[in-house]
Amino acid sequence: MLRIEDLHAEVDGKPILKGLTLALNAGEIHAIMGPNGAGKSTLAYVLGGRPGYEVTGGAVTFNGEDLLAMEPHERAAAGLFLGFQYPVEIPGVSNVQFLRTALNAQRRQRGEEELSGAEFLKLARTQADALGLSMDMLKRPVNVGFSGGEKKRNEMVQMGIIDPKLAILDETDSGLDIDALRTVGEGINRIMRTPDKAVLLITHYQRLLDYVRPDFVHVLAAGRIVRSGGPELAHELEREGYGAIAA
Amino acid sequence: MTDVRNREAFEAAEEAAKYKWGFTSEIEQEFAPKGLNEDIVRFISAKKGEPEWMLEWRLKAYRLWQTMQSPDWAKLDVPPIDYQDAYYYAAPKAKPTLASLDELDPEIRRTYEKLGIPIEEQKVLAGVEGARKVAVDAVFDSVSVATTFREELKKAGVIFLSISEAIREYPDLVKKWLGKVVPTQDNYFAALNSAVFSDGTFVYVPEGVRCPMELSTYFRINAANTGQFERTLIVADKGSYVSYLEGCTAPQRDENQLHAAVVELVALDDAEIKYSTVQNWYPGDEQGRGGIYNFVTKRALCQGRNSKVSWTQVETGSAITWKYPSCVLAGENSVGEFYSVAVTNNRQQADTGTKMIHLGKGSRSTIVSKGISAGRSNNTYRGLVRVGPTAENVRNFTQCDSLLLGDQCGAHTVPYIEVKNPSATIEHEATTSKISDDQLFYAMARGLDQEQAVALIVNGFAKEVLQQLPMEFAVEAQKLLGISLEGSVG
Amino acid sequence: MNLTLPSTREEAWRWSDLSGLPALAEAEPQGGVIDTSDLWIGDGPRLLFVDGRLDNALSEPGDLIVGSVAAQSGHPLGRLATGEGWTLDLASNVAASGLIEIVHVATGGANHVPGYIRLGEGAQASIVETFVGDGWTNRLTAIAIGPEARLMRAIRLMQDTGFGSIREESEILNGGSLVTTILGAGAAGTRIDAEILLAGHGAYAEFGGALLARGTQRHDAAVVVRHAAEGGTSRQIWRAVADDRATASLAARVEVARGAQKTDGEQSLRGLLLKRAATINLKPELEIFADDVKCAHGATVGELDARALFYLESRGVPPVEAKALLTRAFVADALERIGEEAVHDAFLRDADTWLGAAA
Repeated sequence: MLRIEDLHAEVDGKPILKGLTLALNAGEIHAIMGPNGAGKSTLAYVLGGRPGYEVTGGAVTFNGEDLLAMEPHERAAAGLFLGFQYPVEIPGVSNVQFLRTALNAQRRQRGEEELSGAEFLKLARTQADALGLSMDMLKRPVNVGFSGGEKKRNEMVQMGIIDPKLAILDETDSGLDIDALRTVGEGINRIMRTPDKAVLLITHYQRLLDYVRPDFVHVLAAGRIVRSGGPELAHELEREGYGAIAA
Repeated sequence: MTDVRNREAFEAAEEAAKYKWGFTSEIEQEFAPKGLNEDIVRFISAKKGEPEWMLEWRLKAYRLWQTMQSPDWAKLDVPPIDYQDAYYYAAPKAKPTLASLDELDPEIRRTYEKLGIPIEEQKVLAGVEGARKVAVDAVFDSVSVATTFREELKKAGVIFLSISEAIREYPDLVKKWLGKVVPTQDNYFAALNSAVFSDGTFVYVPEGVRCPMELSTYFRINAANTGQFERTLIVADKGSYVSYLEGCTAPQRDENQLHAAVVELVALDDAEIKYSTVQNWYPGDEQGRGGIYNFVTKRALCQGRNSKVSWTQVETGSAITWKYPSCVLAGENSVGEFYSVAVTNNRQQADTGTKMIHLGKGSRSTIVSKGISAGRSNNTYRGLVRVGPTAENVRNFTQCDSLLLGDQCGAHTVPYIEVKNPSATIEHEATTSKISDDQLFYAMARGLDQEQAVALIVNGFAKEVLQQLPMEFAVEAQKLLGISLEGSVG
Repeated sequence: MNLTLPSTREEAWRWSDLSGLPALAEAEPQGGVIDTSDLWIGDGPRLLFVDGRLDNALSEPGDLIVGSVAAQSGHPLGRLATGEGWTLDLASNVAASGLIEIVHVATGGANHVPGYIRLGEGAQASIVETFVGDGWTNRLTAIAIGPEARLMRAIRLMQDTGFGSIREESEILNGGSLVTTILGAGAAGTRIDAEILLAGHGAYAEFGGALLARGTQRHDAAVVVRHAAEGGTSRQIWRAVADDRATASLAARVEVARGAQKTDGEQSLRGLLLKRAATINLKPELEIFADDVKCAHGATVGELDARALFYLESRGVPPVEAKALLTRAFVADALERIGEEAVHDAFLRDADTWLGAAA
């Protein structure tokens, strides 16, 4: 589904990714772990197409298409979802308005029918209920006045409504207490663990992986994948720290 | 030991008094007749032994001034000024000579004591007969420090002279920058100053030099004689740093009612100038009689990349203040700062603020203004933040707070924001408040009297600005705020 | 006409461009029929002015009187609006019979119409005015709001070309309330001038709106809210958007007179620049002569938040739509205070049309 080959990228002229290669197939959940400054968030932003993150070499294909040639919104319409480490606050725009605009924009780009207001609200209610977010919160401006945990749950509600093929979740576990962590983990499994979807979990800690069992674990250090393995690798990292493995 | 010290002090003082420091060297018992015309301008120039180009510069300014109008846009009620009824070149016997401190206005005496100014220094400030020698003796430390300083500055290559001396000794440097930041035609008072400026300071800090000291220490004594049309030019060459302190916390009496100074600062690549002012000219009495009219033009040109100019001012004196220390941020990533506390009491009027003109990419500015009005005074913040069309990624933050003490004063805020580049981030906030009875009572319940309580609260209000001042100045400035507001509550 | 216009050297006109007015003052209206059917929002009393003259056939005056008007002004533009105009004079405790609508159509040249609103104690009215067409449309409206009376005003400046200048002079007595919202979403230059006097204890005034400028258009607002009595409250919430080479300028002043204690005055002026060559000018001014007051203002200028744009795009919203959505959110605040839902919706639609075209 996603093929990353020898990816190089820089921010403000500073090289961050230095030859990263990775492949994800449908039905797989991959975790990328690594120390601070390894380039984890840069990888997420490069895949999402954030301005300022410049690809200087390599290639990325998504279901056979050149991902890097697409605009951010085209990537979303193609089925890529980026879960933000720091979800952005947008005063004056309600969650409902935001999501309906987003969903219908994606459907238009894919040549699908737009959802009516009623259909959309039904969908939104289902997803919000599943993640313990009230409809009142969905009517409030996007992420404004939300706690850290509420913002992350809101990301999952968005993922549930948009129903992407590939989710790249950047530190979705950061700032969550244990209950919220479980809710978010269940959300990821429920929405994404199907044979036709894939997830790239980017995380510093092993704890989210207790709830979302990865099929593969990769260690990212200094801009490259330095080790890959099964779920046991995450435990090894937890025990021994990044120093030993990245060295 | 004492004798040796005294003798050394004496010699140092003699030296200083002669000409080395410039500030006192021109003092002779001579003055030009009243009034202003081309002959007076020629007279001033001749007295100072200026070169021809300087005289021409002055004459040009004088001719311009004659065609100009006194500005009327400020929220100030300025009585008509008769420019022909003033002396433009006079020996500085501005103060009446007193036989002893006992003859001094008890109110001023009291203020000196509150500020903690040493007796002998008080004598100098008050103009007590014979005080000069004694004072120089008594402020031995200042003089010897000044002498040491001079050595140190010389070693560092810093030029620190009176502007008259600089015109003679470093004509190329002066010619290059004088009037470049504040052109003679800039405004009415700048033109007047350019024509008749009496003296002032010139500082040049060479490339890469960090000026080894605050240029200030000896100022207390000399400041008494700087006259009404001061001219200051400070040039900080690439990568240099200088901190300059101007003014005096002690109240200054002067018979020259009109003061029109011009200060020009130039910062080249990576240079930084920190300019701090405490202004406490005579504000007039409670009915508003007397008092200095202070019309000052201060502007900095941040010409170089990463250059920085920081203005800090504590304005408590003068009957009328018209003053907008500004920064032209021409250099890429240059920085301008303006921190101001302005206190007005009784019948004082202040219209002060800043202009931040953003021309360079990535230039940033910060404005923090604290206005405190009491009595029947009026206090106006007036500011401009302008972003030119090619200045990318400019940032400005402005915070403008007013505090009113009593219901007979006025506090006004007049900010202008003009932005021609979408990448700019400009934020402006302003608030108006008073000292609440609860705050006062709380402080008094803890044992402060009313004036102490007011001083405490006002100092808290102004803290952000006061902490920008160099340490020893900050302590005095804090006391000064309290003193300036005496009798304003209750 | 002997036209003496203020120059930009005068403080209150520093950001103005009145240079087109003399030519318009000399020109004649083109005449012709303009379809106004889409412009009416409700079915209350209505007046249609075409080039400054009442169209009897399409008007239903109701409470309104058309004739000579008791409004006079020393204002350089307002004083030109003399002659026949409209009056709404409501006696105590009377509510106007429905939403009052006035549509001003111009076909070129210049037209000047005065208006006068007087609300007796406890009276209530809601008035919408819409300006369309070409030419110079100049209005003076004098407003006297009695104790506890309430007036809602909503004004749409939608002219395609020419210039629209409106001057409002209001006085509000004890406990009276005036809420005025202005939308500038046409393509003509505008000048909005207002002076609002809170003359009675506990008076309330809101004056604000959204000014959207594109091309070489100039929107220019100068509002003074004067608190002369105790306990008054005022709000000035303005949003300005400048696209292309346009300029939007907002000068808003709060004055608190000596003795007007317990005044609560707030200003929020925010500018959004959509293109390189656009300009926003802001001047939030406070002039305060009383100490027990709560006066504050905030002013910001910037562009759309790049992080919010990327967030929207990463959810699949195309850039053009994302910009429109964020811009709409930016201006919506200023239109929030329109009380009548139908009027609010109509104004939002007009703003949306403008934003849609901007995209």
